[in-house]
Amino acid sequence: MTTTITSTVSEGGTAAGAASAAGTARPEQPNGATLRVVVVNGSPNQPSKTMGLVDAVVGTLKGMLPVQMSQIDVYRLGPGFTGAIERDDITAETTPDVEAALRLAEQADLLIAATPVFRGSYPGLFKHFFDLVDQYALANKLVLLVATGGSERHTLALDHALRPLFAFFQSMTVPVAFFASAGDFDGTVLLNPRVYGRIEMGLTDVVDLLRTRASGTSK
Amino acid sequence: MTFEIGIMTFGELTEDFATGAVPSPRQRVRETIEQAKLADDVGLDIFGVGEHHRSDFVGSAPAILLAAAAMRTERIRLTSSVTVLSSEDPIRVWEQFATIDLLSAGRAEIIAGRGSYTESFPLFGYDLRDYAELFREKLDLLLKIRDRNPLTWQGRFRSPLVNADIAPRADGDTIPIWVGVGGSPASAVSTGRLGLPMALALLLGPLSSHRETVELYREAAAQTGHDAAALPISINAHGYVGSTSQQARDVMYPYFAQGMLDNNHQRGEGFYLSRPTFDVQSSPGAGLLVGSSQEVVDKLLTYHQLYGLNRAILQVGFGGMPQKQHLEAIERLGTEVAPIVRREVAAREEKAA
Repeated sequence: MTTTITSTVSEGGTAAGAASAAGTARPEQPNGATLRVVVVNGSPNQPSKTMGLVDAVVGTLKGMLPVQMSQIDVYRLGPGFTGAIERDDITAETTPDVEAALRLAEQADLLIAATPVFRGSYPGLFKHFFDLVDQYALANKLVLLVATGGSERHTLALDHALRPLFAFFQSMTVPVAFFASAGDFDGTVLLNPRVYGRIEMGLTDVVDLLRTRASGTSK
Repeated sequence: MTFEIGIMTFGELTEDFATGAVPSPRQRVRETIEQAKLADDVGLDIFGVGEHHRSDFVGSAPAILLAAAAMRTERIRLTSSVTVLSSEDPIRVWEQFATIDLLSAGRAEIIAGRGSYTESFPLFGYDLRDYAELFREKLDLLLKIRDRNPLTWQGRFRSPLVNADIAPRADGDTIPIWVGVGGSPASAVSTGRLGLPMALALLLGPLSSHRETVELYREAAAQTGHDAAALPISINAHGYVGSTSQQARDVMYPYFAQGMLDNNHQRGEGFYLSRPTFDVQSSPGAGLLVGSSQEVVDKLLTYHQLYGLNRAILQVGFGGMPQKQHLEAIERLGTEVAPIVRREVAAREEKAA
């Protein structure tokens, strides 16, 4: 995937004073830490426009600091997940994959909540995942909101459906959320440069905070 | 570039609400060729036929209608509007249009589109899930066929070509291939990157609605190293040229509303366009090219100013307008609208230079 957007690298100072440099090597963290990013993907499709937009977000993020990304596809977690009524139904013995997925999300440095907008909101399975997540595990956690929809008429689902969900968890939700509609994609590849511009801006806002939260070890 | 003005049709086979009569398919194909001939006689620049695979349209094989039109016309350029390339065989498309090019002494053009109607996909054994990928690959193949022969090529949706000899070749240097774009930013960007001319379709809404599309198209073209200013852009919009503003609206409205009911679905049903809504869509700031000759001239010049257009194609008769009224609009467009628009655009360009 080619983009015309250059990576922005902060040089030990404010994000606002970031120097723009094309094709810069991945910046090293002072403490060598990596940001552990976990994507909770609410799309049933493989590949999907939702993950196409996430790829653009994570691609931009990788130009700013070392990133280690994991992905949870809620539609692929299976009957042990869909049949669970409460968290206690999920155990390391009976449903190890689901247990691992929930823990991964609970322990992320940055959680990306990414979903298509279905019928005015996120799909039920996406909500079901967060119904099983520990009630206090996401408090003060950095959460980034990403959504795709058939048209721009669905943009506000970000703020009217997704944001209140993470307000309940008392998460630290990134102020700028990202939305792209069907016309911004060729297949599942995001083409619209304006969306790239918004991603660049939204991530630059919080890059310093992301650095301080990075807790992974770089290989 | 001189400003080009033309017409296009889908060859509707719709019941006339006024008389209850449905034109026979035989009558409709002949009327379509008659429209092309009149357009040529009154000095219009382009005649287009769209591709639809349903019994309420006679135009499922635009290439054949255009070939017939080639034999009855002298000067007018003949284009598909559009060829649903995603569900077509690019080799066959090339062979047919190259043949039209020979029949017409170099007047053939292709507007390749992804298709806003989806009937052709199951009909020809294609999966709608491959919508974007199909178009990309088939457009790539069509452009390569145009640019070289013999051709060695490989893709996902067909067997590879090894030194394939694809004939006939164009009558002149080449056959223009445009890409039909409905306004999605991604289509505009990918068309710009390829450096292909862009045919913008505008159905309803403000005539400025493609501003961003055009901007993105030119940006993408420039970034890829094409001369963005030299790339042609066309607007394809519905309209009618009447004897007066009122007469134009009165003639166009009932048929257009019928066409919207049959083709433009919302909530799973046809979308009824009320007369007040239609009148708003005909106002100076809206996209429909309907009105008196002077009104259509003004609107075309506004379009030109807004997008830096090189071409406008008026879709007349959507919803099954009878031939008499259809021909009257073609005649006015050629004799009363086109000369003034061409002159004004030339004067503008001279001023700019």
